[in-house]
Amino acid sequence: MYWTLIKTGLIRKRTRTFLTIMSLFVAFLLFGSLQTFTSIFTGSVKGLSAKNIIVTPRYDLFGKQPLSVAQYIETLDGVEAVMYFDILMADSIESMMDGVVFAASPNFFDVYTRFATTDEAEEVLKSTPSAAIVGKLMAKEKGIKIGDKLSLKATSMNSDGTYNWSFDVVGFYTVNKFTGDEMGAIVNWSAFDEARLTEKGTVSMIMAQISDSTLADSISNQIDERFMNSSHATRSGPESMLAVEMAGEIADIKLIMNAILLSVFFTILLVSANTMAQSIRERTIDIGVLKCLGYKDRQLFTSVILEAIFLTFVATAMGLLVTLLLIPVVVELSDGMLANTFNLDLKIIFNGFLLGLLVAFLAAAIPSYQALTLKVVDALRKD
Amino acid sequence: MSSNLLIEVKGVNKTYQKGGETLIVLDELNLEVPKGDYLALMGPSGSGKSTLLNLISGLDSPTSGSIIINGKHLEKMKSSALSDWRASNVGFIFQFYNLLPVLNAKKNIELPLLLTNLSSTQRNEHVSTALNVVGLADRGNHKPNELSGGQQQRVAIARALISDPDILVCDEPTGDLDRQTASEILDLIKVLNREHGKTIIMVTHDPAAAESAKRTLHLDKGKLGS
Repeated sequence: MYWTLIKTGLIRKRTRTFLTIMSLFVAFLLFGSLQTFTSIFTGSVKGLSAKNIIVTPRYDLFGKQPLSVAQYIETLDGVEAVMYFDILMADSIESMMDGVVFAASPNFFDVYTRFATTDEAEEVLKSTPSAAIVGKLMAKEKGIKIGDKLSLKATSMNSDGTYNWSFDVVGFYTVNKFTGDEMGAIVNWSAFDEARLTEKGTVSMIMAQISDSTLADSISNQIDERFMNSSHATRSGPESMLAVEMAGEIADIKLIMNAILLSVFFTILLVSANTMAQSIRERTIDIGVLKCLGYKDRQLFTSVILEAIFLTFVATAMGLLVTLLLIPVVVELSDGMLANTFNLDLKIIFNGFLLGLLVAFLAAAIPSYQALTLKVVDALRKD
Repeated sequence: MSSNLLIEVKGVNKTYQKGGETLIVLDELNLEVPKGDYLALMGPSGSGKSTLLNLISGLDSPTSGSIIINGKHLEKMKSSALSDWRASNVGFIFQFYNLLPVLNAKKNIELPLLLTNLSSTQRNEHVSTALNVVGLADRGNHKPNELSGGQQQRVAIARALISDPDILVCDEPTGDLDRQTASEILDLIKVLNREHGKTIIMVTHDPAAAESAKRTLHLDKGKLGS
């Protein structure tokens, strides 16, 4: 019975039903996309470890800190290993690469397990000053092969007085999550530090691998308190939390996203509620006739609610499905840099349908009440 | 109560409040309709014909008085119980047919049966029978806008008949039809009364329509005359 009533309502004005579904679909597509996108900034991206503490300069994200900070961290209880690296920014126009060069400590791959390479390449990197392990994505884009020379113009001055650097490609690395990190190369920090003329003995970022994630806060606080009043104050925290904080420095991304979503849904709610109300007004006589035939007030009330739920369910399913289909497209368009980054997880899908249900109830509240209270004699009045 | 009596309207008053004034639509009205009767109600506009029809069919409740049908006091029944009662006891035929425009004739006729426990096959059988009774067996898949006025009214009659009610209430069933078609519809209603034993109460302005009834009552200013 209900399906006949719902179908009758939906096909009465096919174009309007189509347009209503489309407007709801766009809203839920936006919802799915923004929620997926927001996950990058909320630390919900999988692969960012709570057992890795990242230590950066407190007041300058791209600044330097002395190696002594890493040496101090190594002495702390609960710290299993400390890895550090400096960043050599390449001039994309005058270099054969677009990304960054990580001049890393020998245990880089052991600690930062998102990055992986072969044992052979890792051994060569440790023993050869000029060795470079290139990100697979960049190697693919630039056609770099093992044995090639990696030449770049960087912001650090070399010992020869130029900004030119050259490395021998000895292998490739891959990255789990944030495939964009494959747009770079990893070289030996000791060799790099010896060769550069400025900022010797400094690193950009330190990563401490701790034995238990519950210790993360206390160890982070210990590090920050130790260097609080020095010229190289630190900011420490789990990798996942720091990613959120860094994004927060740009803007409160989550707040902005939620504000956009809220305004979209408020508009959609008004549109849907108005459409439903108009649809019910046009069906006044139909509802009156159905009541004459013995349909109960609550049955007609329920049918209007179910009609709204059906509309939003279809739109939600379509919106989330298209979001799901768009993810590989966006990754493809980003040349793979965003691979494994976007994630339409079950929580987002569940929230989407929950939101759809809420929109359906709110949009149908007044029309269903109108159907409930409509008097047959008023509905069928001829004058 | 006579065993043949189907409808009893006892001392019914129906008033409305309009702009601080009390409007009397039905005034101490009494009416008895035996089973199998075919009653035409005539009277000027605003005389209370449609209001009386609404009361008898359980669509409205009296301000005072009783409406007793088959021993049941409609004025004491709740909205939900009245819906159930209407579904099995009353068939409605309207002036403007009031078919659902997006459903074809079969689906329109099937609507009252969706409230029952009948299977889809049983419902289809009932619909086919009803279509045969009204002479539209070959028009079942047509939508209302693909049917003439007379055909639409026949579909409406089939819908009214489908749940085999005792009472058919007709509110100016020929008011929107030409003379020839009106005559055919009236013949059909007469058949339903004589051959199928339906009790029919018809509101009409048309003396020709009233002539087809077994008796005619005139309503004026909320009071019945003969």
